[in-house]
Amino acid sequence: MSGQPVVATDRAALILQLVPYLIAQGEVTVAQAARDFDVEPRQMRAMVEKLTVIGLPGEGGFWQMANDLFDIDWDLLDREDRIVITNAVGLERSPRLTAREAAALLAGLQLAAAVPGVGDSGVVQGLLSKLSRGAGQTPADVIVAPAPVDDVRETVARALREGVAVTFTYTAPDAHPTTRTVDPVKVTISAGQWYLQGWCHMRRAMRTFHLDRVTEPAVTSIAALHSSEPVPELFEPGDDEVVAEIRYPAHAASAVGEFLANAQVHEEGGFRRAFIRVADPRSLKRLVARSGGDVEIVAPPEARRAAHDWAQAALDQYR
Amino acid sequence: MSVTPARVPPEERLVNLVVALMATEQGVTKDTILGSVSGYREQVESGSRREALEKMFERDKENLRGLGVPIETIGDYADPDDLREARYRIPPTEYELPADITFTPAELAVLTLAGGVWGEHTLSAGARSGLRKIRSLGIDVDEPIIGFAPRLDLHDASFLPLQRAIEQAREVEFDYLRPGSDRPRRRRVRPFALVEFEARWHLFGWDTGVEAERTFLLSRVLSDVVVTRQGFDESLRVGAGERALSGLRDVALRQNATVTAVPGTEAELRLRRRARAEATNGRQVEIPFVDLEVFADELASYGPEVMVLEPRALQDAVMRRLRAARDRSAESA
Repeated sequence: MSGQPVVATDRAALILQLVPYLIAQGEVTVAQAARDFDVEPRQMRAMVEKLTVIGLPGEGGFWQMANDLFDIDWDLLDREDRIVITNAVGLERSPRLTAREAAALLAGLQLAAAVPGVGDSGVVQGLLSKLSRGAGQTPADVIVAPAPVDDVRETVARALREGVAVTFTYTAPDAHPTTRTVDPVKVTISAGQWYLQGWCHMRRAMRTFHLDRVTEPAVTSIAALHSSEPVPELFEPGDDEVVAEIRYPAHAASAVGEFLANAQVHEEGGFRRAFIRVADPRSLKRLVARSGGDVEIVAPPEARRAAHDWAQAALDQYR
Repeated sequence: MSVTPARVPPEERLVNLVVALMATEQGVTKDTILGSVSGYREQVESGSRREALEKMFERDKENLRGLGVPIETIGDYADPDDLREARYRIPPTEYELPADITFTPAELAVLTLAGGVWGEHTLSAGARSGLRKIRSLGIDVDEPIIGFAPRLDLHDASFLPLQRAIEQAREVEFDYLRPGSDRPRRRRVRPFALVEFEARWHLFGWDTGVEAERTFLLSRVLSDVVVTRQGFDESLRVGAGERALSGLRDVALRQNATVTAVPGTEAELRLRRRARAEATNGRQVEIPFVDLEVFADELASYGPEVMVLEPRALQDAVMRRLRAARDRSAESA
């Protein structure tokens, strides 16, 4: 690359996007434009002001005429914090997508196709070809294999769409099945796994359900009344959870995965020591077995014992 | 009129250059650009060295091309290598989103969903700026698709450099641990596509060592990915994603595990969903799998909830994990 700071190039890219955006908007507040461009309002204002010294080249040594430069309604900006372009000298239509932009959206589309009602609508196929054509370069193939959508997923999607509660049998690991009625709020699809977050009538609180553990789903006629309550982060631990201490080699970090959300992690020469929050530390036995012993439970001792007994009981089957 | 500042910031100079090169049909020479475009002009007038200005112009062109701005060079017909009289322009049809590409409100709603999958990831910036460009075509926004949040989970550090290498059609090198072997080996690969299959990212490409297409699991790439200067023909990438996907599906069709699962347990719930429907028999379940080691990780986690009957290699792999887990969890921490 070159010695010029990347930031200047990035800022130029933003200005090239700003002009068509402002023209499409007609009139927009500084605050809204700042949100749409992921910048501070003060930076947006500076960008807009800067626009008015940009324009066509000056001829024969003269400075540019006012008509040759972009211009805005200064009064509106000063008094009402609103932006309107009053003179444009080019750049009216959006630039093509860069390979990176197209790749990010194309991969996202492949994932969005897993959402019920999206993949089979034909919209995704049309978008895939439009995006490839709208990019100046050939983007990388980033493909997500679609997972089959089953009865559980269909039912939850219908309840979400219709704004009603859904009932199902839920079997958490090492627990007896329970019947739940849930006001569905959000379905997160991550790494091929589907998680439903919603207000559980039994627990009277927001809960997360792994859809692979759901059976006998049914849509109810009960209106979902708690759907607007705030949804916590997917793997955010609750208050009632216990701290466990684990140790693992750095290369096993991805196996520990979701447990590391909000965990305290210390480096110890190739190893990591993490203090993680779990509802029941004995449930870590599954993680230890999955990692083939890479993950060691340091504390609490009953969790360590549970992991030992879990692996031993499994081995006993093969005797 | 405002007083022109002594030094024009580089981003203004870059945008001025784009405006100037788009406004010309025949193209303009470097001389004209340096003498008239704001950002260069001031420096010419304040007596900057010609050589420094030309370097700056070359850098600017390179940076703009990096943004995807198509700057054309029209050379001397008699001597194409002589760039002294070359003219430069940006054809608007190459720069702009093609005029015949339009988006419906329903498409925009799906794109908005697609743009959200990257979460806090660095690619989310690309998704958002792509969306901005499309929204600026002046489309009414459709009802958003609420209630669904597809998310890409990228634990694998090699994803981004591999994606760049695919875009640029450049060979890569990395240390790869083959399943069943205990030492990684250096691989040199022409990367064609990235594919998520059964919740794992795979690289599909041409392995130059074995002279054949191969699929690599990103979680087994143990070193940094080195993007070499060696390019390859971009057309090799055409249809690669689909080829990779059907290859993985074929493997899943060929490989079959037979296990027994205790009713009502986590193992039974999770495995029965993926079982071959025609081949379930009481507690016994048959499940297709792609990667023996990956599947063994999962089966080991179920502990006594599952017992592996076939194939033998899978049973061995699961038992190896269980023994190591048991020993690691022995008394006294």
